[in-house]
Amino acid sequence: MSIFGSNEKKVEEKTTFNFDIDRENINHSNLAKDIKIHGSIEAKDYIDFDGHITGTVKSSTIHLKPNSYVKGNITGDTITIEGEVDGDIHAKDLHIKSTAKIKGNIRYNNIDIQNGSIINAEFFYSS
Amino acid sequence: MNSEENKNSNRDEELVQEYVDNDSKTVNVGAGVRIEGRIDGAEVSDISGTMSGTINSSNINLKSSGIFNGDMSGSDITISGNVEGDINSDQYLIVNQSANIKGTIEYSSLQVSYGAKIQGIIRHKGSVHSYTPNLDPIEKEDKFENQPNDVEEDV
Repeated sequence: MSIFGSNEKKVEEKTTFNFDIDRENINHSNLAKDIKIHGSIEAKDYIDFDGHITGTVKSSTIHLKPNSYVKGNITGDTITIEGEVDGDIHAKDLHIKSTAKIKGNIRYNNIDIQNGSIINAEFFYSS
Repeated sequence: MNSEENKNSNRDEELVQEYVDNDSKTVNVGAGVRIEGRIDGAEVSDISGTMSGTINSSNINLKSSGIFNGDMSGSDITISGNVEGDINSDQYLIVNQSANIKGTIEYSSLQVSYGAKIQGIIRHKGSVHSYTPNLDPIEKEDKFENQPNDVEEDV
C-alpha cells in the first residue's frame, strides 16, 4: 500500500507541472462552464473545457473539468477527465480523476484512475 | 472449507500453513508454487505463485510475481501481477503499476496506478450506466450472504 501511495503522488506532480507550463507558453483554449457546443473542436495544443459538447474533441492535451459533459469521441495525447464522457476515448496518457463518469470504449497506452470515478467501458491497451 | 483447500494444495503450501496460526484464515501461495482449484472462506489470500481456479476471499493480494487464471471475488482486492479472467470487488480494487489484467472487472471503488495494463470490460457496481442486467447483482448478493455465515460456524 505504501509503495502504491508514493507512485500516485509522483503522477499527480507530473500532471500539474505540465499544465502550468502549457498555460503560460503554449496556445491555450479555455471553454468556460456555460458554453454548449454542437459540433467538433480541434486544436493543436491545449484545450481546457468545462462546458457541454455534442461532437468530437481533438487536441494534443485535453483537460475536461468537473462540469464538462462530452457526448462523442475524444482523441488526444494527454487527456485528463474530471467530468462526464459518453463516447470513445483515444489517448496516449489518460488520467481519470475521482469526479469522472465514463461510458464507452477506451484506447490507451498509459492510464491512471483515481478512486471514486464511475467507469463503464471496454478498455483496449496498445503499447 | 479448510479440508477443500488442503486437498488442492501442495506440500509446500502445507508447510506454510503449519507456520501460520490455524485460526488466521490465511492462504499464502508462495512464489514458484502452482495451485489449481478453489479457495473459499478465506479472509486473506496472498498469491505470489501461479493459480488457476476460483478465489472467494475477503482480502485478495496478487503479488507482482503472481499469475492468476480464473475468477476472483472479494471485497478488498489488490492486483500487482497477471490476471486472466474476471475480478469482482465489493469494496476497494487497487491495480498497481506492474499489473496486467485481461478480462472483466466489476468494482465499487477502483484505483489504477499509471503504467498498469488493463484489457477488457470495466463495470461500476450499482451504476445507472451499467451494462449489467438487473438479475446479476442479486445472484452475487446471495453468494456473499452465505459466505459470512459459514465463517461464523467455523469459529
